[in-house]
Amino acid sequence: MKIRKAVITAAGPDQRELPLQRLVDRDGSAKSALRLLLDEAAAAGIGEVAIIVHPDDGERYAAATGAPGGAPRVADGVEPKLHFVPQAAARGYADALLQARDFVGDEPFLHLVGDHLFLPRGELRPAAELVAVAQREGAAVSAVQSTRESHLREYGVVGGPRVAGRERLFAIDAVLEKPTPTEAEQTLFVPGLRAGHYLCFFGMHVLPAAIFDALAQALRDAAEPRRVSLTHALATLPGRARWLALEVAATRFNLGEKYGLLIAQLALGLSGRDRDDVLAQVTELLLAREKGRAQK
Amino acid sequence: MSRPLSRLVAILETADDALRHRSLEAAVAGLDVEALLHECRALDAFRARTDNLYQRVRALFFLQAIHRYHLAARAQRLPAAGGRIPYDGQQLLLDRRFEEAIACFRRTLDDAGVSEALCSALAAAYRGLAFQTLADQVRRSVRSVRGNQWMFRCGHPLDQPLRLRPELLERDVAGHYPLLVERTPVRMDLTHCGWSDIFFLGMDHPEGARVLNVSIDLGVHGRDAAPAPPVECSLRVIDEPLLRLTSVDLGATADVAELPLLFDFARDYLGLLKAALLAAGLVPPGIEGSGTTLQQLLAQLVGEGRGLEIVAHVRGIPKGSRLAVSTTLLGSLIALCMRATGQTRALTGTLEEAERRTCAARAILGEWLGGSGGGWQDSGGLWPGIKLIEGVATAAGDPEHGTSRGRLLPRHTLLGRERVPDSTRAQLTRSLVLVHGGMAQNVGPILEMVTEKYLLRSDLEWRARQETGAILEQLLVALAHGDMKSLAEATTRNFFGPLTTIIPQATNAFTESVIERVKQRFGARFLGFWMLGGMSGGGMGFLFEPEPITDAAPDAARTADPLAATKRELQQILSSAKRELQDALPFAMEPVVYDFAINDHGTRAQWSAPRVAVAPHPANATTAAASDAPLPELLARLGFDRVEHEQIRVDLRAGRIGLAQNRLPAHSVLRDAEPGDVADLRAGAGAEEVARGTAALQRGEVAVLTLAAGAGSRWSGGANVVKALFPFAKFDGRFRSFLDVHLAKSRRVARAAGVPLPHFVATSSFTHEAIARQLALRTGSEPRERDVEVELSPGRAVGLRLIPMERDLRFAWEETRHQRLDVQAQKVRESLHAALIGWARGAGEGDDYTDNLAVQCLHPVGHFYELPNLLKNGRLARLLRERPQLSTLLLHNIDTLGADVDAGLLGHHLRQVEDGGALTFEVIGRQLEDRGGGLARVDGRLRLVEGLALPREEQELELRWYNTMTTWIDIDSLLARFGLTRELLLRSAEPDTASAEAAAAAIATAVRRVAAELPTYVTLKDVKKRWGQAQEDVFPVTQFEKLWSDLTALPQLDCRYVAVPRVRGQQLKEPAQLDPWLRDGSAAAIAARCDFH
Repeated sequence: MKIRKAVITAAGPDQRELPLQRLVDRDGSAKSALRLLLDEAAAAGIGEVAIIVHPDDGERYAAATGAPGGAPRVADGVEPKLHFVPQAAARGYADALLQARDFVGDEPFLHLVGDHLFLPRGELRPAAELVAVAQREGAAVSAVQSTRESHLREYGVVGGPRVAGRERLFAIDAVLEKPTPTEAEQTLFVPGLRAGHYLCFFGMHVLPAAIFDALAQALRDAAEPRRVSLTHALATLPGRARWLALEVAATRFNLGEKYGLLIAQLALGLSGRDRDDVLAQVTELLLAREKGRAQK
Repeated sequence: MSRPLSRLVAILETADDALRHRSLEAAVAGLDVEALLHECRALDAFRARTDNLYQRVRALFFLQAIHRYHLAARAQRLPAAGGRIPYDGQQLLLDRRFEEAIACFRRTLDDAGVSEALCSALAAAYRGLAFQTLADQVRRSVRSVRGNQWMFRCGHPLDQPLRLRPELLERDVAGHYPLLVERTPVRMDLTHCGWSDIFFLGMDHPEGARVLNVSIDLGVHGRDAAPAPPVECSLRVIDEPLLRLTSVDLGATADVAELPLLFDFARDYLGLLKAALLAAGLVPPGIEGSGTTLQQLLAQLVGEGRGLEIVAHVRGIPKGSRLAVSTTLLGSLIALCMRATGQTRALTGTLEEAERRTCAARAILGEWLGGSGGGWQDSGGLWPGIKLIEGVATAAGDPEHGTSRGRLLPRHTLLGRERVPDSTRAQLTRSLVLVHGGMAQNVGPILEMVTEKYLLRSDLEWRARQETGAILEQLLVALAHGDMKSLAEATTRNFFGPLTTIIPQATNAFTESVIERVKQRFGARFLGFWMLGGMSGGGMGFLFEPEPITDAAPDAARTADPLAATKRELQQILSSAKRELQDALPFAMEPVVYDFAINDHGTRAQWSAPRVAVAPHPANATTAAASDAPLPELLARLGFDRVEHEQIRVDLRAGRIGLAQNRLPAHSVLRDAEPGDVADLRAGAGAEEVARGTAALQRGEVAVLTLAAGAGSRWSGGANVVKALFPFAKFDGRFRSFLDVHLAKSRRVARAAGVPLPHFVATSSFTHEAIARQLALRTGSEPRERDVEVELSPGRAVGLRLIPMERDLRFAWEETRHQRLDVQAQKVRESLHAALIGWARGAGEGDDYTDNLAVQCLHPVGHFYELPNLLKNGRLARLLRERPQLSTLLLHNIDTLGADVDAGLLGHHLRQVEDGGALTFEVIGRQLEDRGGGLARVDGRLRLVEGLALPREEQELELRWYNTMTTWIDIDSLLARFGLTRELLLRSAEPDTASAEAAAAAIATAVRRVAAELPTYVTLKDVKKRWGQAQEDVFPVTQFEKLWSDLTALPQLDCRYVAVPRVRGQQLKEPAQLDPWLRDGSAAAIAARCDFH
């Protein structure tokens, strides 16, 4: 199994601006958030990327995919071919993903959400690891992160046993969208996880093409299609297809949260080439505040 | 030499059911002391090494029972029988440090040998440890149920994962937030399952834990238009950052703005609402003590500046209905809170099965948090219709797996129309009449008894438990076929067979009297009786022949209540039975008859129109004390001494008297009695003494004085019943009161001696009329009994209770050692104590206690006065005139059930009198439960010391002999000590002469003089205040007493002491003592000395 294609969703009315935000990457160069996502896909060996956009955003996004100089620049790997797929009406996340059906065809694909940034803890990029595992296992794989139960209401959450002999890999047998801790405790069992922690989606999946049928069905069944999430479609996978969860060695940043962009930038800055400089400036800020307090 | 293997350990370890279920009694029959001690050592070692919770607990109960029932009895015959309980061990026991206490007691036993005292201490420690182990397991299980765990991890507002559903924040056009209302039926136990749903049983014996449980709507017949779900609660958002909690039934509202107040359950009447908020996760239990604020938590949960209003309402269903109303309310509130925070799929409508199970688990958690607990079927009202609830064996993956045999939570199987057809359901509602008999009793001790008996597998009780299983099967068949006769036969057989075999206290004189009257009134139409819950007397069921629906008028028949006339008559029967027994048994309310309907939905929620204010249900108006005479009138009638009362108040407020001042001076040297101080007649008196006593009896020289003036507040928990009349146990096939038993013993003695025995019963203004009424009822038109000449000796002195001083409350609760409770229950108790101290401060320390029925505000002034009353009221004089030979009185307490005119003891006393003795006091070897002083040498002088007079608490255990209060009195010697003579006494009783008046005055002066020589004790007593729908509050109040045993401290009164067998001297002070008393052979031994005919 070879993963060649990726889909990035970025058409949500509240998140249209997020991929366009500029940040300074670990190598010190300024890039859009979208560019950073494309770098992530390219590093995973993805050849073609579909970006689901608002009908008015194609051009702005195309501009944002390039380096300041104009021509696309790939940090790592080969520059993928880009497709901008408009979502005609704002009918929610599930419908946005469904727009990529023709682009994907019947191949498995990598899916990234457009309002997240991903930062590896080591050398290996999370998308690259996820794609490698999916190819090796011949299965759908969702990247997950161990998350405290107080944040459950923000994510899709999975449960299931560990895959024998495989590190950080779980066989998903249940999935819930934004569960209460009560539901999570009763339904989502993951051996070996810290008490009060659950495997929450990381915003990155390798999915089979069959997910589009499930998405379409979920949209047909729903009273409010706008509220249908990917999780609803994913819930049909256990028992029908092999679906795994990979606890990736990386951190995700939700740019849409309060201070999300700032924290993502700080994380990039503190893990990159300019770490000392950033640290010095942050320290200076803190000291200035302390001095001000002392003078009062 | 190697020891034989332990037969008891073999029972615990075996997988063979026949051996596993063998009773302890059978296993230890015939073992001598040494063999029993060997078994104890083996069991102790076994319990320490086994990982299996239930083997460990059963071993502990075996150890408890061996010490309590087998070793103690044998130890009474051993030379070391007067051994002492080490104080250190007792303190460890009080602190719930059971293992250390056991080690301490066992060390003492190894050093000093087996004694009755040590056996009682070890029994108590093993029992405490057994229940603690079980309680710990329930706590672990409750906390580890999936869905509950996160709440204990959540320690900061930012950790709070729950958010209010957005629908609840959408205001209407008028700006009101919407109101979400949950309505929940209560559950009715169709089988009575032999209490098999209590956690300890369900978790060890899941295959035997089976219940048929029906959800019902209820209405009070004649009051409510139609049955409806009795429990209703509502929730809405408010624009204040606090929790506004209201109980409509209890008329209580509180704005809770501080987090610690939510964990303070006994502070107000809103403990159950608080427990629900915690158990539903709105305020996660893990956040207690975190230092955070409720505002921060509410900001996360509801939004900045907002809070919640939660209102609970039970529609006028009184407490004690045995329909699990409080658990249902808890479950209903939890369901509502779960809905509001997205923990259920639907905001309105019914719940899904998984949600009901979560809710039930949380109701158990809520009960544990609130320091209470019932069985797992109690939240059955969350489910619809009729269901079979069964224990479930654990499987891999369960939190209980490897620890217990069964899961904490049972399985609910709804019985559909194919198993219980519509016709049966209709017949049931047309046959069954549910009632509340008016008694509201605490079933807590019963649940402990059930657990203990189950683990000991006593033969009779174990067989009874098997029978309940067969009865359930019969009920299932009866339901399938709509056979009401078979159903009623089964429930009746269940009650009079297995249930009362397992727990004799499940029945009582009231219940049996009502059943008998119903039988007589309705004949064949009465199909059977049905006990609804933990014990009878409150909620009960009566089944009647259903009246057929005729084809001609089906609609009319369906709409009319075919049992309306039956219900009216049943109401009359209940009310008249209550009237006859209300002096003797604690009734909390007037009996009521219900209408009911099966609820096929379970708990449901819906939106409701915003409500402006909560109006109390008309049924919830506080019960007025209509029949009660006004207090001032009563005080005047009873000759209340206002001057003395004011002096006492001044002294109390000034701190000159009080609990701490009851104690003897700290410099008093107090030692145990010496050998030779007590004549040991525990093995019986000598032939010469028996002969001497028998001769005196036959000459008619003896009379009995039973003290029956007090209310026995420890027995009744502060209710105003007459303990002497309490029908506490069955003898000779009928319930008998304390007084019945005493008179029956006198009857037997009299018949054996061949002469009538005069028997005085000392009464007070609290007990006189009731006792007189009962005696008259009993004898009816029959001529006065020949063998026992019963004479009441009325006493008139009363005191007026006072609101206690904070100082005394703190002394009683904080400076005096008490048995600590399990952690959560202890928290609730401390919260209650703080609330009661607040009450005393607010109500006015040292003020008169008047906020209750008048009779509950008064108190008798101590049993010292009861013999002087006999002098003052002329009753003794009258008898002396009739029987000049009368020389001895036997005085005893109402609850000393073994006391009688024993010829040997009488002979012994007469010998003491010859030797110069005046009073002979009976003592028994101390056991752990014997609290209240004992025989001591105080500064060298031998006397009885009251517990509240001991300078230091630890001294009590140094005193081997416990005071039974039973006293043989030489009349002339006592009169002499009072400065009186027979002649003066006789003269005082002459009709209307000046000389009689002078004699009476002299007697009164003499009594006052002796009374002045005796100390006055300040005591705290519990008094119940009843209100609302069978609600009861218990208040501690201050009163004053002079006590009989202090006569032993008077100079010029020669007192002697004799040790008697425990069965003779033991007092039944608390209902919890009753079951051991019935089981350890005491009851049978006393029954053998009674003649009831």
